[in-house]
Amino acid sequence: MFWHAHLLSLTVAAPFVAALVLLAAPDLKGAAAKTVALVGAAASFAGAIAVWASYDLSQGGLQLVEQYALVPAYGISLHLAVDGWGVALLLLTGVIITTGVLATWTLEVREREFLVLLLVLVSGVYGVFVSQDLFVFFLFYEIAVLPMYLLIGIWGSEGEVEAKGPFAFVWRRFKVGGREYAAMKLTLMLLAGSAAILVAIVAMFFAAGGTSFGFDTLQGAAYPRSMQLWAFVLLWFGFGSLGGVFPFHTWSPDGHAAAPTAVSMLHAGVLMKLGAFGVIRVGMMMLPDGAAYWVPYVGAVAVLNIVWGAMSALAQKDLKYIIAYSSVSHMGVVMLGAATLTQDGWNGAIYQMVAHGMMTGLFFALVGLVYHRAHSRWVPGMGGFAKRMPGVATFFVLAGLSSLGLPGLAGFVAEFLVFLGAWQSDHAWWAVPGIIGAFVTAVYVLRVGRDVFFGEGPAEGFEELSDAKGTEWAAIVALAACLVLLGVYPNLVLEFIHQATTEYLPLVLGSGATGVAVLP
Amino acid sequence: MNTLVNFQPLMLDLMVLFVGLLVLVMDVLMPPGRKRGLGQLTAVALAGIFALSFVVDVSGVAFSGAYEGGAWALFFKRLFLGAGALVALGGTDHVDRRYPGRQGEFWLLLLFTLVGMMLLPGARTLVLFVVAFELMGMPLTMLAAWPKTEDPTGPGRRAPEAALKMYLVSAASTAITAMGLSLLFGAAGGLRLDVIAAAPQTPLLWLGLFTTLGGLSYKIGAVPFHQWVPDTYEGAPTPVVGYLSVAPKAAGLAAISLILVETFGAASARWLPVVLFITVITLVVGNALAVPQRDAKRLLAYSGIAQMGYLLIAVAANNESGQAVMLFYLAGYVVTNLGAFLVIEAVCADAPDADLSRFHGLYKRAPGLAFALLIFLLSLAGIPFVVGFWAKLYVFMAAYEAGLVWLVALGAGLSILALFYYLRIAKVVYMRAPAEDTPIAVGGGMRLAIALCLAGVVGFGAWPGPIVDAARAAAAAFGG
Repeated sequence: MFWHAHLLSLTVAAPFVAALVLLAAPDLKGAAAKTVALVGAAASFAGAIAVWASYDLSQGGLQLVEQYALVPAYGISLHLAVDGWGVALLLLTGVIITTGVLATWTLEVREREFLVLLLVLVSGVYGVFVSQDLFVFFLFYEIAVLPMYLLIGIWGSEGEVEAKGPFAFVWRRFKVGGREYAAMKLTLMLLAGSAAILVAIVAMFFAAGGTSFGFDTLQGAAYPRSMQLWAFVLLWFGFGSLGGVFPFHTWSPDGHAAAPTAVSMLHAGVLMKLGAFGVIRVGMMMLPDGAAYWVPYVGAVAVLNIVWGAMSALAQKDLKYIIAYSSVSHMGVVMLGAATLTQDGWNGAIYQMVAHGMMTGLFFALVGLVYHRAHSRWVPGMGGFAKRMPGVATFFVLAGLSSLGLPGLAGFVAEFLVFLGAWQSDHAWWAVPGIIGAFVTAVYVLRVGRDVFFGEGPAEGFEELSDAKGTEWAAIVALAACLVLLGVYPNLVLEFIHQATTEYLPLVLGSGATGVAVLP
Repeated sequence: MNTLVNFQPLMLDLMVLFVGLLVLVMDVLMPPGRKRGLGQLTAVALAGIFALSFVVDVSGVAFSGAYEGGAWALFFKRLFLGAGALVALGGTDHVDRRYPGRQGEFWLLLLFTLVGMMLLPGARTLVLFVVAFELMGMPLTMLAAWPKTEDPTGPGRRAPEAALKMYLVSAASTAITAMGLSLLFGAAGGLRLDVIAAAPQTPLLWLGLFTTLGGLSYKIGAVPFHQWVPDTYEGAPTPVVGYLSVAPKAAGLAAISLILVETFGAASARWLPVVLFITVITLVVGNALAVPQRDAKRLLAYSGIAQMGYLLIAVAANNESGQAVMLFYLAGYVVTNLGAFLVIEAVCADAPDADLSRFHGLYKRAPGLAFALLIFLLSLAGIPFVVGFWAKLYVFMAAYEAGLVWLVALGAGLSILALFYYLRIAKVVYMRAPAEDTPIAVGGGMRLAIALCLAGVVGFGAWPGPIVDAARAAAAAFGG
C-alpha cells in the first residue's frame, strides 16, 4: 500500500523530481527536456486522478493523511491530507500543468531552465491545496509565487508592457521597463501580500497558544475578536493580492501580458486561485469573527472586481490584456461566492476556480498560438483569422461562451451557483452587479471574437497564418473537453466540493448553519 | 578551582593567538614565492580550531570572574572562527595576487582582530571590554588600508579614504564608549558588570549607559552613526569588507547585548525607547538609502545597515528568545553576507569599482556565481527556503512575543522595499545581456568558500532545527 499511503506526497513531489532531473542533466535539450517535464507533469496529473478515485465520499473529511515532523520546536510538520475541495483543485492543477507543458513545446530559448522553474512552481501549487499545516501552506505558497519573477523577467515578451499609473515615475527612474517591470511589479506586490500574511500567521500562532501551526489547532482556537478583525484584513489583503482583489489586482494584467504562454496559463489558471483559496481556507475558516465582520466589504469589493474587470477588458486593445482583465473579473466571482457564506456560494466559488482555471488556460493557450503566428496582439489590426486558423477560432469561441456563462459549459454552473448564493445571502443586491458583469463579459468576448477571427480577411500582413498543429492541439482539445465535461456533468467534481463545503461552512457560521443547497 | 589563572575558557582564543604567531614565524621562514601558503595555513588552522570548539571544554570562569566562558560566548566564537576561516579561504587569491610581498602581515592582523572579537563575548569587566574592542578595531583599519601603495587609478585607489574614515570614526567611537564606561564606573563604583547591574540607578548611570550605547552603535553602523559604512565598504578590499560586514558587527551586538540585556535587562523601560528609536531609523534609513545605489558594495553596505536594524529588534525584545533569535540571525547573516561579498570579489576582482553594470549577464559568464548570488540575495531579502527567511521570521516572532506588533509590521513592510533593491541586482544578473562574453575564472579556494556559504544558506534554510536548538541553548546560558 506504499502508493496509497504516500499518494499525496508523491503527487506533490512528481513535478519537483522532474525539475531535479532536468537540473542535474544540463545536456538535456529540446524535445528530450520537454519530454521529461511532460512525464513529471503527467505523473502528478495521474496522481491527482488517483486521489479523485480513491477519495471516499461517504466518509468525507480529511483523507490520505501523511504527517512528518519538520520543526518540532514550533510545532511545524509536513502534514498533508486532502478534502473535497482539494480533490477538485488537484485535478485542475494537473490539467493545467500538463497542458501548460504541451503549450511550451514551441519554446526554444533556455527551455530547460524554464521547465525547471515551471515544475517547481507547480509543486508549490499542489502543496498548498493539500497542506494541513499553516506554515507549510505558506512555504508552498511562496514556492508557487517566487519563480514567477524569473519566468516573466527572462522569457516574457518585450514591448507591450510599460509602467503606468501614479508610480510610473519610480520605474522610469530605475530604468525598469517592459517585462522586467511586469516581473518586478508582480513580485513586489505579491510579496507585500506575503509579508502581511506572515504577520497574521505569527499572530494566529501565538493567540492559539504558540504550540502548533496545524490547521486542526488553529481552526478551533479562541482568538480574541479584536485580533481577528485586523488579522482578517491582513489575510484578505495578502491572499487577495494574489487572488486579484481590487485594487491590488494591477500586477495581474501587466504580468499576464508580459508572461510567456505556459506561465500565463499557470498563473491565471491556478496561481490566482491560491489567493482566493487562502482567503477562504485560512481567513474565513480560521477567523470566523473577522469574516463575519468583514464579509459585507469582501462581497462589495468582489462585485466591484467583477464590474471593474469587465469594463477594463472592454477598454483594452491588446488581446492578452483583454483576457487578463477578464481573469480579474472572473476572480471577483470566486470572491463573491466566498463572501456569501452560503452553501451554494461556496460551492460556486470553488467550482468557479476549477471552471475559470480551465477556461482561462484555454484562452491563454489560444492567444499564445495567435501571437506565435501573427507576432502581434493588437486587436484592431487583426481580422478574418478564422479563414487561416479555423480550429483556433472554434475553440476561442468555445472558451468565450464558457466565459460569458453559456449553459452547457463549465462557467455557467459556477456563476449560476454563485449568483444563487448571493441571492440567499444577507446582501441579495450583490447578484445584480454580478449579473451585469456577466453581461459586459458577453459584450467584450463576442466583440474580440468578431474582431480577431471573423469579418473580412485575413487582415493585411497576416496572409501566412496557419492553424494549430501537433502537440498544440493536444493542449487545446484537452482543455476544451474539460470545459464541456464539467458543463454537462458537473457532479464529476461538484459532489466532492459539496462534501467539503458541508463540513466547513458551519465553522464560519457557528452551529446554526443556514442556507439551502440547490445543487447537487 | 582557582579562577584567577584558569585558562580553560580561553583555550580557543589562545589557539588563534598561537596561529597568529605561527604565521609570523612562517612568514620569515617561507621563500618569497610561496607566501600564498600563509593564507591557506590560516584557513586550515581556523577551520581546525572551529572543529576543536566542539571538543574542547571552554566553560568556566577566568581571572576571578572578569572573564566568563559558556555556551553563549562559544556560539559567538564559532561565528568568528567560521567567518575568519571562510575569508581566509576565499581571500587567499586576492591577497596573493594583489599584495604578494605583504601576505604574512595581512593574515597576522586578521588573526589579531579575531582574538579581539573572541575575547569580547566573555568579557565581564569594562577594562577587558575596551581591550578586546581595540584589539579588534585597530588591525581592521589597517586591513582596510592594505592596498594603499598601489596605482592611484587602480582598484585600491579608494582604500586610504576608506581606512581614514573608518579610523576616525572608530577612534571617536572608542572615545565615546570609553567615556560612557568611565561614567558607568564612576556611578557604580566598580568595573565588573554585575557590580554595575546592582548599582543604584542614578542619572549619572543612565548618562553612562546611553553614551556607551552611542559608542557601540558606531561599531555596528546603526543610524545615525552609520555614515562611515558605505564609504569604507566601497574603498576597502572586498574580502576585508566581507569580513568587516559580519564579524565585527556580531561582536558589536555581543557587546550591546552584554550591556543592555545582561547588565541593564531589568531596567529595560529606561533604554527601550532609545533602542527602539535607533532600530526604527536604522531600518528606515538603511533600506531607503540602499534603493538608489549604483555600486554593489555600497548597496550591500546600506542593506547591511538595514540588517542591523532587524538584529536590533531581537535585542529590543529583551528576552531569552530574543537572544536566541539574534544568534540564529547572526549565524545566517555570516554565511549569507560573506557569501555575497565573496561573489562580488570573484566578479570584480581587479576592477576599480563594483558597479552594477559589471554584473550584467553574469548568468552567461559564470552560471554558478550567478546562482549563488541569487540565493544570497534572496536570503538577505528573507525569502522562504533560505536561512534569511527563518531569521526574519524568528525576529518577528520574538518581537511579537515582546508585544512590539507595530515593529513587526514596519519590519515586514520594509522587507518589501529591500526586495526591490536586491532584485535590482538579480535583474541585471539574469535579464541583461553581458557587455563581454568572457567566462569568469574563479580560483579553487574562492570556489570552495562560496560553496560552503551556499551550503550554509541553503542547508540552514532547509533544516534550521539544529541551529535553532544551538542558539536556544546558548541563549539559555546567557545571563545565567
